[in-house]
Amino acid sequence: MKLFPTGREARYSALKIAAVPIAGALLLGACSSDDSGDGSGSDNGSESGSGSVVISGSSTVEPISIDVSEKFAGSNPDVNVTVDGPGTGDGFELFCNGETDINDASSKIKDEQIEACESNGVEFIELRIGNDGIAVMTNDANEAISCIHGGDIYALVGPESQGFETWAAANELATEVGGEGDLPDAPLDITGPGEESGTYSSFVELAIEDYAEERGQEAQTRPDYQASADDNIIIQGIQGSDTSFGWVGFAFARNADGVKVLEVDEGEGCVLPTDETIADNSYPLSRPLFIYVNKDKAAENQALTDFVDLYLGDAISSVSDVGYVDLSEETLAETRSRWEARTTGAA
Amino acid sequence: MSVMSNPATVGSTAATERVRRSITGGKADVKGTIFMLLMLMALLMSVVILAVLVIDMVTQGRTVLTERLGDFVTGSMSSQPEASGILQGLRGTFWIGVFTVVIAFPLGIASAIYLEEYAHHKSRVARFIDVNIRNLAGVPSVVYGILGLTLFVKAMGGIVGPNSNGRSVIAAGLTLAILVLPIVIITSAEALRAVPRGIREAGFGVGATRWEVTRHHVLPYAAPGILTGTVLALARSLGEAAPLILVGATTGYLSGGTEFLDLGALTDRFTALPIIITTWAGRPGEGWVSVTAAAIIVLLVVVLVANAAAILLRNRFDKKRG
Repeated sequence: MKLFPTGREARYSALKIAAVPIAGALLLGACSSDDSGDGSGSDNGSESGSGSVVISGSSTVEPISIDVSEKFAGSNPDVNVTVDGPGTGDGFELFCNGETDINDASSKIKDEQIEACESNGVEFIELRIGNDGIAVMTNDANEAISCIHGGDIYALVGPESQGFETWAAANELATEVGGEGDLPDAPLDITGPGEESGTYSSFVELAIEDYAEERGQEAQTRPDYQASADDNIIIQGIQGSDTSFGWVGFAFARNADGVKVLEVDEGEGCVLPTDETIADNSYPLSRPLFIYVNKDKAAENQALTDFVDLYLGDAISSVSDVGYVDLSEETLAETRSRWEARTTGAA
Repeated sequence: MSVMSNPATVGSTAATERVRRSITGGKADVKGTIFMLLMLMALLMSVVILAVLVIDMVTQGRTVLTERLGDFVTGSMSSQPEASGILQGLRGTFWIGVFTVVIAFPLGIASAIYLEEYAHHKSRVARFIDVNIRNLAGVPSVVYGILGLTLFVKAMGGIVGPNSNGRSVIAAGLTLAILVLPIVIITSAEALRAVPRGIREAGFGVGATRWEVTRHHVLPYAAPGILTGTVLALARSLGEAAPLILVGATTGYLSGGTEFLDLGALTDRFTALPIIITTWAGRPGEGWVSVTAAAIIVLLVVVLVANAAAILLRNRFDKKRG
């Protein structure tokens, strides 16, 4: 309806078209979403600047790195430190793209990640900083069991175990997945960390994931167990019933009274979790924790060098402070010499 | 004063009721009463939901807010809930608000004025644009996050964040400004559309140009409505978390980022209140529950303050309009 025609209409209709790029840009953004991962090569050239340390990677290692960062920030107020925990794999994508200085990792770098780093010219120094170990436990008074097979653990608390009210109920499933299937006929009272806990995800990754994948199940535990975020309450739950079952981080189980830490057999005999068996990863429910440092950035960024020095120096106590298992003296010495020599590549 | 001039409220309710009865045949208005009660229940429902949220958050976050409010508001992110603070989040959220106000508001209002006052309503292009903008307002916020990642973080990273791989508060502010742009355009256009045709015609009738009519008659009349829309848009941009995750807000730990007005730090890594809330909510333990609740209360207060400011502004315009 042209109520008030003026001579300007023509000029304005050109303006109308200016609104189109906004919609167009949005469409473009939606279509090119796949670019987000590999990014553009130009990112490699950008420096993190002398005053910043950018850390990403595993959410398991994240609390250690945050703890170290807080210690670092106290004496280096001018350095910007950022820590994120999107996961080891996502972290490596950023790291091999040159976007981060350090990648936290709860598993060793994979071949395709090494290739990605190489193709972008990113050289890395692999530094082992600690161990993650999960202890499975029952009550001290439970004589029926002292060693448990990995398949039995899956059968007791894996995604398919919902509704099992006795240990024996899991036997059939245990045999099916390759476990021993000789669990006692006794009530099963499970206490463990809640889903939001780091120990929960560690447990799922170490004890459940492989079995679940093989059987086409989701990598998660059964939902019907007593969950708590407080390690003390989990220990109380284990103490509260003679035939209880549960798990906590090894560092915590070591000091707990009234519980019996079980040996775990993953086909290579029963192994009791100890500092030694966790350090050499012969205990099945354990894994090494790493940080990967970008070598070139460490060479040109004094703040990054200082940060790693602190990480492997005084601040290495953060590993046990946040609940993980310290490295043995020798392994720590090895890590330190790798760093001193700036040894690149995976060990 | 506007109350006095409103004829509907003149006289007591008793008198109104007497008049109503005399013209509706003296019957009690049952349907009307039922309808009124239904509406009241609907209102109560929303109020109760809001009240439950606020009470729940206040009970959980009370200890943090009463025992260490100062430290909490001026502290930094930490691995320990007892030492955690939200200053860095407040700073990020503050700048996101600034970008929304400075970029989305003028652009959005200008677009709305053009669409309503200048474009031919029936032209295909205008209708096409109108439909598109309405669709954009309904696009999920993560999609805008992907846009921000592609456009600001990756393509313009060298400008918006040379020392943070583009993951700066500038990129975040621009992304959220674009996210709320359609909302600003739509609500402003609605407000302009509500201006009676006669006002414009009267203006043109005395020889005013289109610019003069828009500036002196249409805009003042539509200002309260436009402001309401912008308030909703601002609140939305302050509360969004999903796009910020994609743009690269820091979730774990951030040192620095506490200087509110340090313009040089705008290109550094950042975090924002909604991000802090999402991160903390996922951490185990009682301590994190209470600091999360406390952070939610602070975010509510921030949004409330922004809204209050806009309502005050609107009341001023309302008075002017008389």
